[in-house]
Amino acid sequence: MTRFMTRFGTMGTAALTVLLTSAVDGTAQMPTATPEQRTAGTRVTEIRFGTEELVVTRDETVILEATLVDGEGNPVEGAIAMILVQGGLSPRTSILSGSSIELTGQQPGSGSLTAAVMVPESDGSAFGLTGVRQLATLPVTVLDHPAASIEFDDLSHTPYTGTSLQMGGTVMTDRGAEHTTASISWRSSDPSVAVVTGSGILTGLAAGTVTVSASTENGVTADATISVVENPVRSVSMTPGTASTRTGDVVEFEIVARDVEGRAVTDIALDLAVSGLEGNGGFVFEDGTFVAEETGAYRVLASTGPASAAAIVEVSARQGPVAVELVAHGPRADVATSDLWVFEGRDGEDYAYTGTHAQGGGQRMFVWHVTDPTTPVLVDSVVVDARVVNDVKVSDDASWAIITRENASTRRNGIVVLDLEDPAHPTVMAEMTDGLTGGIHNVWIMGDIVYAVNDGTNAMNIIDMSDPANPQHAGRWELRPGETNKSLHDVWAEDGYAYLSYWDDGLFILDVGAGTHGGTPTEPQFVSSISYPQGNTHVAWRNRDYVFLGDEIGTADGMRGFIHVIDVSDVENPREVAKYDLPEAGAHNVWVEDDVLYIAYYQGGVRIVDVSGTLRGDLYRQGRELGFFRTRAAEGQGLRANSANAWGPQLFKGHLFVSDMTSGLWVVKHAQPRPITF
Amino acid sequence: MTNRPAGASLVLALSVAACAATLAATPLSAQSEEGSYWVYVANEASDLVSRVRFDGSEVVEEKAISVGFHPADLDGAHGITVSPSGDHWYVSIAHGQPYGQVWKMETETEQFVDSASVGLFPSTMSMTPDGASLFVVNFNLHGDPIPSSVSAVFTPFMQEVRQIETCVMPHGSRVSRDGTRHYSVCMMSDQLVETSIMGLDVSRRMSLTLGHEGATEHTGSVASNGNEVDPATICKPTWVVVSPDDERLYVPCNGRGDVLEIDAQSLEVLRRFPAGRGPYNADITPDGSKLVVTLKGNQAIAIYDLATGEETRVETSQPVTHGVVVSPDGRYAFVSNEAVGATRGTLDVVDIAAARLVASAELHYQPGGIGFWKMQGH
Repeated sequence: MTRFMTRFGTMGTAALTVLLTSAVDGTAQMPTATPEQRTAGTRVTEIRFGTEELVVTRDETVILEATLVDGEGNPVEGAIAMILVQGGLSPRTSILSGSSIELTGQQPGSGSLTAAVMVPESDGSAFGLTGVRQLATLPVTVLDHPAASIEFDDLSHTPYTGTSLQMGGTVMTDRGAEHTTASISWRSSDPSVAVVTGSGILTGLAAGTVTVSASTENGVTADATISVVENPVRSVSMTPGTASTRTGDVVEFEIVARDVEGRAVTDIALDLAVSGLEGNGGFVFEDGTFVAEETGAYRVLASTGPASAAAIVEVSARQGPVAVELVAHGPRADVATSDLWVFEGRDGEDYAYTGTHAQGGGQRMFVWHVTDPTTPVLVDSVVVDARVVNDVKVSDDASWAIITRENASTRRNGIVVLDLEDPAHPTVMAEMTDGLTGGIHNVWIMGDIVYAVNDGTNAMNIIDMSDPANPQHAGRWELRPGETNKSLHDVWAEDGYAYLSYWDDGLFILDVGAGTHGGTPTEPQFVSSISYPQGNTHVAWRNRDYVFLGDEIGTADGMRGFIHVIDVSDVENPREVAKYDLPEAGAHNVWVEDDVLYIAYYQGGVRIVDVSGTLRGDLYRQGRELGFFRTRAAEGQGLRANSANAWGPQLFKGHLFVSDMTSGLWVVKHAQPRPITF
Repeated sequence: MTNRPAGASLVLALSVAACAATLAATPLSAQSEEGSYWVYVANEASDLVSRVRFDGSEVVEEKAISVGFHPADLDGAHGITVSPSGDHWYVSIAHGQPYGQVWKMETETEQFVDSASVGLFPSTMSMTPDGASLFVVNFNLHGDPIPSSVSAVFTPFMQEVRQIETCVMPHGSRVSRDGTRHYSVCMMSDQLVETSIMGLDVSRRMSLTLGHEGATEHTGSVASNGNEVDPATICKPTWVVVSPDDERLYVPCNGRGDVLEIDAQSLEVLRRFPAGRGPYNADITPDGSKLVVTLKGNQAIAIYDLATGEETRVETSQPVTHGVVVSPDGRYAFVSNEAVGATRGTLDVVDIAAARLVASAELHYQPGGIGFWKMQGH
């Protein structure tokens, strides 16, 4: 390799031959080529770059040298190549004619650059791009602006000898913004006083003062003076909340560190560890709690400096799965079933309404009479102009209901309001389509307010239903208005908070009347959010201090995704503390009641999970599942036989109603309606 | 280039089962490939693309190909076009989360090749004559009426090279025969937009509002620029067709109920053809003599003799008549009918010269976009 990438300005611009003018937004005119250039292109067999990887700094312009060569390695004069960039470089499209092109870094990250020689096409056109032949790719990295400073995190914690704490800092660029990729390495000036790992875990070894240096790869350094204090702790006592427990039940400990005079030391860092005496599935967490996935005896150790204490926790099995009894199946073999709502009508009878999805024509809401849950009777249906009736919800007083529409023939979707004066035979009372034409995927009813997920926008529309026959727009909330790359999927609200599932942006919590952050039902105020890398945040439901947050992930192996358990006891700082992850299937809608989580888990049928008490770790592996039922229809009883595809659960008057996408309505009952809570 | 979307292999595999139920109309073995025509039709509410064959007397769905990236939700296969070489077809996956995609599929195998992420609700597409560039309008019918764009996609690498902002609710997409200009219309801005393919930017705009027709510098509708506008004068265009000599443009005014013939050089309206309710899509015979327009609100197509302006109406087999493509020999118009709700839509074949419906096949839910693939034995 004889040619190398050089920085713009260090090389004469005479060497630069770029035919295209880059546009402001990083694109360029579409390339073309003369017949002579194309003819020369037929001799090109390779495109050689002057580097193995293109590394550019944000806003920096570089010249990438390249050579078009023939089969014998000789440069081909007159040939040209098209360059396409995927990643944070500009322009995205350009022409290489001669020996170099000019590229500018824009967004930090990685990408690739593709080069294709242009050769004669079989039929003419203004573009003449048919004959392009891809010959080379090059990895691209765009770096952020240079790191210029490091700002330390809180330094107020006292490091005692024999204890460790995590150092932290933020790298700032020379433009005053947080650096997007830089990492910090750490070093102690005196390892006899304190040592610090490369990732910043500092351990005090002896009383004294030490300088801890944080530095970046490009040589930016910041120093902090740390005083290590002699560890005053001489003893530690440790008492478990219980010495015997079950798998999945969280044990808390009372741990007290005391100095030589017996006084409690409260600002000391404690190390916790667990070892299995008879089992291997024990875990301790940051907050000092312990939980086991397997039965056995576990030794939990708390230590600081030379002092330590241990507690033994014996773990027995939870109660085994309970039987889930099939009560009834209301089959739908002609059309896919979507969401459901079960309620007591104003006539005193019980009903289940189920929506329909595209397969088979999703234009109906079915009405089932379920006063006798052993014999659901299909009594009527409502037909609307739609190909998907995804969601069904009934008002608190059961006087009206809403069904959502998608793929209407008129493309005016929105919502349909039903009059439930006769709940066995609901009638259309009103429609609302203005501003909702793209479709409504989900709704939630909170009194006279409806929160509606407006398809394709990033908005939750707020609808005033105080006069159900005349629904009125009452507001809108959207994540970062003006940004179109957001996708809202579902909304659920209770006790003054709304929980919005914002797909790749995670869960958003809004104050809609809780009285904590100034929000009202029609003017929500942001409270907090939490996201995770895999995104696909689909549904949320709060129970006590936990939000059960479901993914919905389509894969080549079928539906996947699980339930994230988010602790919202500090609603401004939600944190993920547990999960329920059934390995072979994908989560969909949830219902929580009396500390039991019901999950429609697509291929896994409906799953019933004990979510009582404190939750930590993997609830599935801990044996917290109380039972399950695979909603698999017999031949002729569903769109597909022997294949569960559970969509939504709802507990109603002691029975669990489940809609299954391929087989209709199911009613099941588990032998022990409530878990035993200690 | 983008990676194959998760779930693609799953939904493609499912197509085998899906097509089995739709082949019953005519045994393939009884048909001859001599004198046959093939088209692709996108079924938006089924996430299926139908490959349909017409042998001169009967039309059958040969295969239903599953498309879309989410197995449990509708992804909205909307627009479809076939490359000039016939090697590939492209379908817009409109719904997105939130951005839509364009999928590139191979005609020989019906297998997924690649995809490109584009804008909000990508709908209609067309390609340059060399097949290297594809222009898809980002219809964006969601929520607020804000300006949207046309995405230019370089098809060999399936890379979007630019989103060209045009106006509100762009629809219809056609490239001139000489490959230098792209045309689209905007339903809510009431405009025709000409884009320079070499420059990838808007070169000219034309207002289509009656009384204000002609070239304009404004990016919004006449009403949005402070004028009082009688709703009856609003065109609400949904399509644009380029004549074979690139001299004329034809625009169905879906709202007003007429079809405009426009001089492509001067952007002046030359003629105005009365149409029925909701003229929607259109195509033109290769000799430029006949214009075929779907009438969404009439369950019909209108065939215009462009020499005389005479209109002949042909009733279609199902309501919500949507897409149309004319065979390269000018004999047949292939017409998609969405139908309503749980009624399956259809593909009709109309003999243009005879102005007669000659064959029809039931497809899936909401067939809309349609693209001509090939004809053999002619």
